[in-house]
Amino acid sequence: MSLTLLLEKYDVSTEEGLQKALLEIEKEEVEVDEALAGVLSRACTLEGRLRTASQAYTKLGEVKTDAQVAADMVDRTAELARDVSAKVRQLDLARSRVAECQRRVHDLIDLQLCSAGVEAAIKAHDYETGAAHVARYLSMEPGSLQAARARGAPDPRHTMERAAATLGEHLVRKFEEAAKKEDEAAVERLFRLFPQIGRADDGVDLLAKYLLTQVEGAVRRACVVAGGAGAGAAGAGAGAEAAVFADALTRVLEAGAAAAERARRVPPPAAGRLPRALRLLQPAVCAGARRVFAAQRAARLDNAANATGAGALAAEPVLAELALSLSRVRLYFDFLRRKTEADASTLDEAGKQASAEAIEKIIAECELTRIAQDMLAHYLQLERYFLEESVSKALKMATPQAGSTTSSLVDDVFFIARKVIRRGVSTGSVDGACAVLNEAGALLERLPAAALRRWLRASVCSVCECAACSVSVCRRGVSPGSVDAACAVLNEAGALLERLPAAALRRWLRAPPDALPLPPPAAAPALAPAPRLTKELDAQRALFLAHLNEAEAGGEWAERLASEAVAEAGALCRGERDAAKLASCAAGLGAAAAAFRAAHDLGLAGLRAALRPRLLAWADALADPGDLAEDIEEDTDADALPAALDVLAESARAQLSPQTADAVLLGALSDLAARAERRLLHHTYSREAGLVVERRARRLAGWAGGAAPAARERCARLAQAAALLALERLQHAHHALQPAARLAPADARILARR
Amino acid sequence: MEDYKFLFKVVLVGNAGVGKTCLVRRFTQGLFPPGQGATIGVDFMIKTVEVDGEKVKLQIWDTAGQERFRSITQSYYRSAHALILVYDISCQPTFDCLPDWLREIEEYANNKVLRILVGNKTDREDREIPRHIGEDFAQRHGMYFLETSAKEAENVERLFMEIAVELMEQAKCKELPKYDGSLGPINGKTTSVGDTSCCLRS
Ligand SMILES: Nc1nc2c(ncn2[C@@H]2O[C@H](COP(=O)(O)OP(=O)(O)OP(=O)(O)O)[C@@H](O)[C@H]2O)c(=O)[nH]1
Ligand SMILES: [Mg+2]
Repeated sequence: MSLTLLLEKYDVSTEEGLQKALLEIEKEEVEVDEALAGVLSRACTLEGRLRTASQAYTKLGEVKTDAQVAADMVDRTAELARDVSAKVRQLDLARSRVAECQRRVHDLIDLQLCSAGVEAAIKAHDYETGAAHVARYLSMEPGSLQAARARGAPDPRHTMERAAATLGEHLVRKFEEAAKKEDEAAVERLFRLFPQIGRADDGVDLLAKYLLTQVEGAVRRACVVAGGAGAGAAGAGAGAEAAVFADALTRVLEAGAAAAERARRVPPPAAGRLPRALRLLQPAVCAGARRVFAAQRAARLDNAANATGAGALAAEPVLAELALSLSRVRLYFDFLRRKTEADASTLDEAGKQASAEAIEKIIAECELTRIAQDMLAHYLQLERYFLEESVSKALKMATPQAGSTTSSLVDDVFFIARKVIRRGVSTGSVDGACAVLNEAGALLERLPAAALRRWLRASVCSVCECAACSVSVCRRGVSPGSVDAACAVLNEAGALLERLPAAALRRWLRAPPDALPLPPPAAAPALAPAPRLTKELDAQRALFLAHLNEAEAGGEWAERLASEAVAEAGALCRGERDAAKLASCAAGLGAAAAAFRAAHDLGLAGLRAALRPRLLAWADALADPGDLAEDIEEDTDADALPAALDVLAESARAQLSPQTADAVLLGALSDLAARAERRLLHHTYSREAGLVVERRARRLAGWAGGAAPAARERCARLAQAAALLALERLQHAHHALQPAARLAPADARILARR
Repeated sequence: MEDYKFLFKVVLVGNAGVGKTCLVRRFTQGLFPPGQGATIGVDFMIKTVEVDGEKVKLQIWDTAGQERFRSITQSYYRSAHALILVYDISCQPTFDCLPDWLREIEEYANNKVLRILVGNKTDREDREIPRHIGEDFAQRHGMYFLETSAKEAENVERLFMEIAVELMEQAKCKELPKYDGSLGPINGKTTSVGDTSCCLRS
């Protein structure tokens, strides 16, 4: 406590105050003394510590000097290491330089040897050794040669190059000599040396030139034969000498192919050079083909064009020959492609690609391609003529004559079409095959299908019309409610139909009149056999059926042809585009098929129309409640219609295809059932009459179930309707409609009331 | 099966070099091919377009103009639904040949085929055939007429789309009556559209 504080706290003016202050001071004094004593006691410890510290300091100084020494040593070591590695690197460099020098020295020594060796080899005619020297020279590093020159020495390459050039000249000369002598072995031997002396292209050119003379010779020989035969053919007329031009062309192409095969045997270092050789060889082949084709045109085609009157027969051998020629050209081109691919097989992808492109270019640009295109044009023109001519001839032959009962139009025509399409495919040209398919499709659709339709229509159309009008007249007749009037109209219509040729078709529906136990009274006269049914009508009927069958066969044929063509020509397609093209053209035959189907449908409609009057009469008979002939056996009565239908079915099955027969029966039964149902609604029935009608309907349904399954449902409905008529009580109606109601409820109600 | 309702065959004819291939490629691939080589035989491309919400597949046959391919190309006329006859507005001879082409069309194509006359290369400065001359010719011969540029893509899309629309209308008219007793062949190619088995699908 400071003095001022003390003075403030205590009143020092008084004794008591002073006393208190003194006390206070004394108390503090004691505290200070204690504190001092504490500090003094700690002083000795401090002293001890200070001593230890100063000792440690001196030790640290020693450590520092030691560390310095160590660091200096590390530095020196690192410097040494650096020096060592630099030296090692220098050593490496030196060694590689030494190696290079050695190689160069070797090269230079070799070079001397080579130059000398080449000269010696040339003198000794040992071209293999010479070429080996040159090959060694070519494999030398250009650097060493350059280096040699850089030192001021005379360029050692000059001597070597001179030597190599001399060798090359010698080789060329020798090759030409060998070629002139046609010394195959020498040619082969020398040719193999060219790649070694780095002149593979020159070698290929020389070989190609050599082969070219051979090809030209072969081609000339091939053409001479063709020329002679061509002249002969022109004189003697076409025929006997089959395909001399195709043969000649084949020989020309074979010569070309043989040369290509030889040129391909280039040793590996020079592989991929076949296109180079072919570029030189191809013109000779083209020239040969040109000459053969010119002769062929003169002898055959121009004639054929003039003498189109000669007919399809004369065109056939020419067509066959053209197709053969075309296929040979295609084979030849395929051969070139294949050989080129094999030739390039050791190359890398880019090399293969280049090789393939080169050959395609040669093929696309060569004259043979254009000749083949011209040939194809001629072929197609003539083929179209042949097709039209043959088909119209077949048509003419098939045109119905009085009394003819059969027709082979469709078979004939499709035989022709198939022949033409096969020939088109055999040309090996997708475009050719497509064009032929187009022509065939168009023609088939245009001519035979149309003719059939016309013929079927000629006999049927009038029937259709009459039937249509008779139906409408019937309706008019029926609507006033007079059955008699309707029947009269029907009879008239029937008589009318009978006069028309196709109406003869109905005859095979006719059951013998005596077998008809229950002829509908009004209609009976019309159903009697017409006396004017003669042999001629029989024939017409048979012919109509034959045509109907043909129309059906035509549709099937056209589709078969299309799929055949696609299968056969599929191999020609190169790429998807070709295949799609072909498929689309083949689909053109589908249009022809549709035309045949239309003709067939027309015939079917006619058949149905012709049957209708008779069926309607039967339907009327079935539904007729009156005039119950009690003297006639019930079974005979009920079986009359099935018996008549048996005749129909048997006849239909015998003369028509199963499908057509089924269609006829289905149509007939539908007509019959529809009509009968309508008649049921017209009459009123006693219970007996109902039973009779019901029996008839049941038998009919039974017959349909066995003989015409497609119409079973329709007839079952009729049977149900009849069953309703035979009911004792209305309440039992639901039994009659078992197992499933086929009648509309409204109709059932109306029927049940009768 | 592809999903389309109509398939129409469109055939392009006309002299070599008038730009048939370029028109087709412009329409089907949207490009103008540089250095287009002459067509060999017949080439074909397909493009499906939409008309009134219905898919129409156009099968486009690009024929070679060179004389020696004539007998190949002629075989494609008959099944064509539409024929595009192309000339080059900058090349008088290609226009002068039109009557020959028409004769060929008369002979080989079916007489109800849709025929369109197209003057191509309108982008060229050196026009030789004025527009109205082409138009007159087309009118005289009952053909549609259009001038195009395959290079500048002018009217190319329109050309093919109008054909698709027109053919579809024709097809729809014919869809109903199939048997038409009085009129020659039924169901044959003479009713050019919608009659073959492959034409109408649903
Ligand atoms: N300026 C211009 N040039 C065009 C046009 N269309 C085609 N060409 C050029 O005309 C040339 C022939 O075109 P193509 O399409 O090959 O002719 P193309 O009718 O198919 O000929 P072919 O196949 O031989 O019948 C090419 O060089 C095209 O570049 C066009 O619209 N304008
Ligand atoms: Mg073209």
